[in-house]
Amino acid sequence: MPDPRESIPASPPALTTDSGKSGISRRGFLKGAGLTAAGTALLDGVQGFTSEARAQSPHGVTEFGPGAIPVRLHVNGAEHTVEIEPRTTLAEALRIHLGMTGTKVVCDRGVCSGCTVWLDKMPVNSCMTLAIDAIGHHVTTIEGLSTEEKIHPLQAAFVKHDAMQCGFCTPGMVMTCAALLERNPHPSEHDVRHAVSGNLCRCGTYPKVFAATLDAAGTLRNA
Amino acid sequence: MNSFSIADCTTVDAALSQLKDDAVVKAGGVDLLDRMKDGIEQPTRLVNIRNVAELRGIRETDQGMTLGPLTTLAEISDYAHIREHYQILADACGHAATPHIRNMATVGGNLLQRVQCWYYRSADFQCFRHGKDLCFAFEGLNQYHAIMEYGTCPSVAPSSAAVALLGLGATVELTSAKRGKRTLGIRELYIVPDANPTKFTVIEPDELITAILVPKPAPGTRSAYQKYGEKESFDWAIADAGVVLEMEGDICKRAVITMGAASPVVRRSAQAEAALAGKPINEETARAAGKLAVEGATPLSMNAYKLDLFPVAVYRTVLLAAGKMNRDPSAAG
Amino acid sequence: MTKEPIEDALTAQAAAPAKKTVQMPVGVPGYTLAEETRSVPATEPPVWPINKDLKYVGQPIERYDGLLKACGRARYTADVQLPGMLYAKFVNATVPHAKVVSIDTSAAEKYPGVKGVHVIQHVLGNAQLRNPALDPAKYPVVRYAGQPMAAIAATTPYAAEEAAALVKVKYDTMPFVVDDVKARDPDAPNVFPGAADEAGSAGGGGGPHGVAQTGNIHGPSIHKRGDSEQGFKDADVVVEGHYVTQVQTHSALETHGVVADWKPDLLTVYASTQGTSGVREELAGFFKIPLTNVRVITEYMGGGFGAKFGAGNPGVVAAALSKKTGAPVRLMLDRQEEHLSVGNRPSSDQVLRIGAKKDGTLTAIHLIAYGTAGCGTGAGCAGPAQNLYQAASLHTEENDVFINAGPASAMRAPGHPQGAFALEQTMDDLAVKLNMEPIDLRDKADTHPVRRVERQIVRESELWKSRNPVAGADQGPVKRGIGLAQSVWYRFVSMGSNAEVRIHKDGSLEVFSGVQDIGSGIRTVMAQILAEQFGVPPSQIAVKVGDTNYPEGPQSGGSVTTLSLTPVVRDAAWQASQKFLADIAPALGTTAGDLVLVDGEVRSHSGKVAPISFKRAASKMTTSQIAVQAKRIPDYDPKKYLTYGGVDVAEVEVDTEAGRIHVRRVLSVHDCGRPMNPAQTISQINGGIIQGISFTLLENRLLDPKYGVMVNPDLEQYKIVGSREIPEIDVRLVEAYLGQSSTDASGIGEAAGVVSIGAAVANAVYNATGVRIRHTPMTPAVVLAALRAQGKKMA
Repeated sequence: MPDPRESIPASPPALTTDSGKSGISRRGFLKGAGLTAAGTALLDGVQGFTSEARAQSPHGVTEFGPGAIPVRLHVNGAEHTVEIEPRTTLAEALRIHLGMTGTKVVCDRGVCSGCTVWLDKMPVNSCMTLAIDAIGHHVTTIEGLSTEEKIHPLQAAFVKHDAMQCGFCTPGMVMTCAALLERNPHPSEHDVRHAVSGNLCRCGTYPKVFAATLDAAGTLRNA
Repeated sequence: MNSFSIADCTTVDAALSQLKDDAVVKAGGVDLLDRMKDGIEQPTRLVNIRNVAELRGIRETDQGMTLGPLTTLAEISDYAHIREHYQILADACGHAATPHIRNMATVGGNLLQRVQCWYYRSADFQCFRHGKDLCFAFEGLNQYHAIMEYGTCPSVAPSSAAVALLGLGATVELTSAKRGKRTLGIRELYIVPDANPTKFTVIEPDELITAILVPKPAPGTRSAYQKYGEKESFDWAIADAGVVLEMEGDICKRAVITMGAASPVVRRSAQAEAALAGKPINEETARAAGKLAVEGATPLSMNAYKLDLFPVAVYRTVLLAAGKMNRDPSAAG
Repeated sequence: MTKEPIEDALTAQAAAPAKKTVQMPVGVPGYTLAEETRSVPATEPPVWPINKDLKYVGQPIERYDGLLKACGRARYTADVQLPGMLYAKFVNATVPHAKVVSIDTSAAEKYPGVKGVHVIQHVLGNAQLRNPALDPAKYPVVRYAGQPMAAIAATTPYAAEEAAALVKVKYDTMPFVVDDVKARDPDAPNVFPGAADEAGSAGGGGGPHGVAQTGNIHGPSIHKRGDSEQGFKDADVVVEGHYVTQVQTHSALETHGVVADWKPDLLTVYASTQGTSGVREELAGFFKIPLTNVRVITEYMGGGFGAKFGAGNPGVVAAALSKKTGAPVRLMLDRQEEHLSVGNRPSSDQVLRIGAKKDGTLTAIHLIAYGTAGCGTGAGCAGPAQNLYQAASLHTEENDVFINAGPASAMRAPGHPQGAFALEQTMDDLAVKLNMEPIDLRDKADTHPVRRVERQIVRESELWKSRNPVAGADQGPVKRGIGLAQSVWYRFVSMGSNAEVRIHKDGSLEVFSGVQDIGSGIRTVMAQILAEQFGVPPSQIAVKVGDTNYPEGPQSGGSVTTLSLTPVVRDAAWQASQKFLADIAPALGTTAGDLVLVDGEVRSHSGKVAPISFKRAASKMTTSQIAVQAKRIPDYDPKKYLTYGGVDVAEVEVDTEAGRIHVRRVLSVHDCGRPMNPAQTISQINGGIIQGISFTLLENRLLDPKYGVMVNPDLEQYKIVGSREIPEIDVRLVEAYLGQSSTDASGIGEAAGVVSIGAAVANAVYNATGVRIRHTPMTPAVVLAALRAQGKKMA
C-alpha cells in the first residue's frame, strides 16, 4: 500500500467542476457553476491578481445551507461524502461525521492547536475552519500520516523519546512537527519551538517533543 | 455556533452582489468564527470570500506593493521582498497569533478583527460596543486595556498588521458595487469608539477591502515591529511598537512610531517621532523617544505598568530597526 | 460486643500469616545504600536488586501505548461514539449567588431534536451545609456563576446547545463576594447561611470537617508542635513574609465528561476520570443501584491533575438523561465550564514567620494562612511548613474562605506549591539574614537523608556552582540569577489496589486491573513487571486496565498509583509463576522446587531438565489458564521514610525593564523510591516543572469583582506557558530504596517539581535583582511594581 503522504502532490492540482482530472470533482455538491483553483491558490506573487486563476462561473456564487448538504471531502487520500450544515467545522466533520477522532478539540478557539490537520500540507486549526472551506483541498489528519505498514519516522521518534503523557495534545503536536519537517528538513530546536508555539500541552511534554522532532529530522534526512 | 447560510463567492463582483440584508463577510474566518462561537454575534448569512482568487497575492509595483486582502499573514511574513524592504510588516504578520492561525488568517481580516476586551468578547456582558450604555472595564479588570485616547471604551487596537501598515503609510482600497472605489489611510479606516461605539470601521455593509496599497519606502528606510506579552508563545500584545526610520547616514531624517495596545485605535506618536527626527539613533535618543510615546497617558486602575512597558517597546524597537540591537528575547510571538 | 470463636480464629490467622525475613536494599546507591532486614509475608516474591541489576524494571522502556497515542488511535472518552448517542449540554447559572425561583424548560423540551431534559436537584462539588434546613429551596442555591442547573439531551450538539439557551431560569439574586480578602470582612455577604463542609476526594482535596466557621471563614484548622512563643524567644533571628498566590485551574486538555449508557441491568459509563472505581461508587450510591450494575470504562484520558474524581455533575446528569431517554448520552464540558465548575487550585494568603539560631537551627515556624476554594474547601497550604523542616516548635493555622466561585478540587500536590512558595522564600530570606548560603541553611534545618543527597548533587552541579551569591550583582537591564527550593510529599498507599495475572497455555500473558492510565504510564510499568518475572518483552504482555470489570484498581491521586499497584502486580505475577511451575513440574519429570523461571526460560536447579523456553513450558500446562489475583498488603515497614521529595534549582533572566522573567535552566533532583521507568518518571517531572512555572508566571482565574463572572474562561486569556517558555530541564533521578514493598516503588506526580519550582524561581529572581517577589503570578505588571517599590527598576 503506498504511503498516502506520497500521493499528495506538493502543490495541489487545479480543480475544475466538470473535469475529473484532479480526481476531486465538486459536481453534485456545488449548486452553482464552476470553481477553479480558487481557494487553493498558494502564494503566487503577481499571479493572484491575474484573471487566469479566476472563476469561470458567470455568477461566481454558490449557495450553501442553512440546512445540511452533502459535501465531498478529500481526506487522507480518499474521498468522503458527508451531510453537513455550513456551520460544521472541519474538526466536527472529521470527528463526528467521519469518525476520525484522532484530531482533538481542546480550546475550540484556535489557540491550542490540538485540532491541527493539514490543508494541502499546511497545518491549520480544524476547529476554526469550516468544513466547506476544505472542499477541493487535500486534508491530512493524524490517521493519514502513517499506514499500517509504515510508521512515520516522527511518530516513531515520539515513542522513542516518550514525547507524550496523557496523549491528548499528541496528534496536534505530531501534525505540527511533521509539517515543519516537510518544509524544513534541517530544523533547529529554535525552529521546533517556534513551530509548536501554538500547540498547548498541559502535561509538559515539550522538551521531549523538541528532542523527538530533531531526531526524526535526522532519520528523514538519512532515509 | 448559530446556523447560517453561506454564499461562496469566487469573484469580487459576485461577492459585492451578495453584500446585502445584513450579510457578513467571511474571509479566513478566524475572528468571525471566534465571535460566533462566543455567541456575541449570530449572523444568519455569510458571504464567503475566501475563494476569491483575485483578492489574494502580493504584487510589487513601481509605487510600492499591493497586497490582496486575502493574503495570509504567513504568506506576507515569508515573502522575501517584504522581509527585505518592509521588515515592520514581516515582523507584525510573522508574530501575530499562532503559526497555524497565521496560515489561515488573512491580512484584511487581521485589520478588521474586533477588539479583544474580555467584556466585549463575553456574551455575559453587553457594553457600549454592543449598543448598550455602559463599559465594564473602567471599574472592572482592565490590566490589558488602553492607557490613552480611550473615551468611552478603553479596549485596545488588536491588529498587529495595522500597526505596521500605519507605520508604512499604507492605504486601503474599498470597493462597492454601487459607489465604486475609495481609498483610505489606515487610521481613517477605524472609528474611535466615542464617534460610534458599535461600528468599528468606516467600511459600509456593501463594501469590501479589495487591495492594500503600501508605498515604496524612501531610500535609507529601516523598520521593525515588536510586541510584548506576558509570554513569548502566543499572546496578545500588552505593549507593542512599530518603527519606520528614514536614515541619511547616521541621522534619522524622519521617524514613524506606531502603537496598538495603547489605545482603541492604532496610533502614531508624534512626540516620539519628533524626538528622533534629525538625530542619530542611539540608546539615548531611542529611550527619549520611548518616554515621549506615553506622554499624556492616563492609565486605568490596573494598567499603570504599561507606562513602563511602552517606552521599553519603543526604544528597543527603534534600536532594532536601526540595526543597533537584536530582536528582543522578551518580545512575544 | 463479643466475638464468635470462629471469627477470633480467623482474625488471629489473618493477623499472623507466615512470615519470612529478607534483606532489602535501602538508601541511595553511590551514597547511602545499605541492607536492612524486613519481616514480610512468606508469599512475597524474592527481593529485587537495585535497578542496574534488573532487565526491564527500572529501564526506560518505551511507553506501552505510545504508538497508539502518536498515531491518534487511542480512544478517549471525548472520542466515544455509540449508536443512537445523544449529545447533552448543561444550562449554567449566569449569576454568582441566587435562590432559584423557577426553571422553565417547556420551550427547550419542544425544540426539534431534543429527547430529554433534566433539572438538577442536588448539585455536587459545592460544600454542603451542616444544617441543610437553612436552605429550604426547591432547587439548589446558586453559589457561583457557571453552576450547572439543568441539562438537555438532543440528537445533535447544535440542537442541545440551542435548546439549552431556551431554558428560562428565574433568579432571586443575593449579594455575593468573589474577592477572598473582602470575603473575610465580617460585613461581607455570606456564601453559606451557616457552617458548611466539603467532602474530600481521592486526590486529597477538600478541607477539614467540623471546624469553626465565622461568616465566610471556615477555620482555623490549627496544628501545633512545641511552644512557638518560646521558640521565637529562643531565636536569634526572626524573618517574616506575606505571600499571596492566585487561583489556578487544572485546564486538562480533555474536559470533564462521560458517555453514559443506561440499560435496565447495567449502566455503562465511559468517563474521563482518575478513578474508575470512584465513578462507579458515586453513581451506584446516587442512583441506589448495586455496584455490579455499574461499569465504568476509561481507556484513555486527557489529563486530570487532581480534578477528575467521582462521577460529579456531568456523570450523574448524563446517567439520569440516559435513563430518561433510553439512549446513550454524551456530556462533555466545554472549555468555559471546565474553568468554572470542576475544580481549581485554591488561592493562598499567608503570613509566615520563622525563628532561628545563628547557626541556622530553626526554633519556630509560624504560619497563618487563608485561601479560597470558592464554594468548597481545601485551601489549606501548611503541608510544607509542617513537614519539610524540623523546627523546635510549630504553629500553623489554615482557613478556608468561602467566595462565590466554583469549588476547588485537589490539584497536583494540593496546598504544596502555595505553601512551599512562602516557606522556601522565607528560608531564603533567613539565609540572607544569617549570612549563610541557602543550601547550607537547608543542610542544617533539613534532616531528610535523601534530600541531603540531593543537595549534594546540587552542590556539585555546574549550574549551582555558577551562582553568584551576591544578589543583584549583574549590570544592565537583564539580570541573571539562580535559586533553589525543596519539595516534600508523602507516601500514601491505596489499599484498594488489586490486579490479576493470567498465564495462558499458548504462553501469552495478561494482566488486569481497574486502574486507569492517566498519562503517567501505569500500563507500561505493569508490562515491565510481568516482563521481568517471565522474561518476555514488555510489548508482548497484554495489559488491560481502565475498566471496573477488572479487579478494582487504585484511584490515581496523591501519587498513589505506582507505589500502590506495582507490588500487587508483582505479587500476582510471582504467585502465578509459582503455580505455573508447580503445574508443569510433573510433565517435566521433576518437582516445582527444582524449577525456576529465569530470563524467559524454565530451568532446573538439579540439571535434571534441560532449559526450555517459557512458551514451550506453557504448552505443558494441565489447564488452559492459570490466574492469580492479588491485593495490596501493607507496606513492609510503614513507620519508616514516610516522605520524599526533591530539590529544584532555577536559573532565570529577569528583564527588569520589560518585567519579564525568563526561566532558562532548571536542575531537578528528585527521588521516588525505585523509579520503575525513568523515561516516564522524567516526563512527569518535566511536567511538574512546566506546570509550576506556568502557575508562577502566568495562570490566573480572573473574576470580575462587580459581576462575579470569570472574564477569561478560555485558553487565550487564561494564560498557560507554551513551547517558548520551556527551560532546559536537567532531571537527575535519585534512586532511593525504601524497603517497603516487593517493587519498592513510590509515586512522583505530586513531588515532581510543581511544589518547589515557584519558590526556586522566586529565589532566583531575588538572586538576580535583590528584589523578592511574594505574589504570583509574576506577570510584567507584578514584576515591574515590585522592582519599582524597591527602587530597583532600571532608569
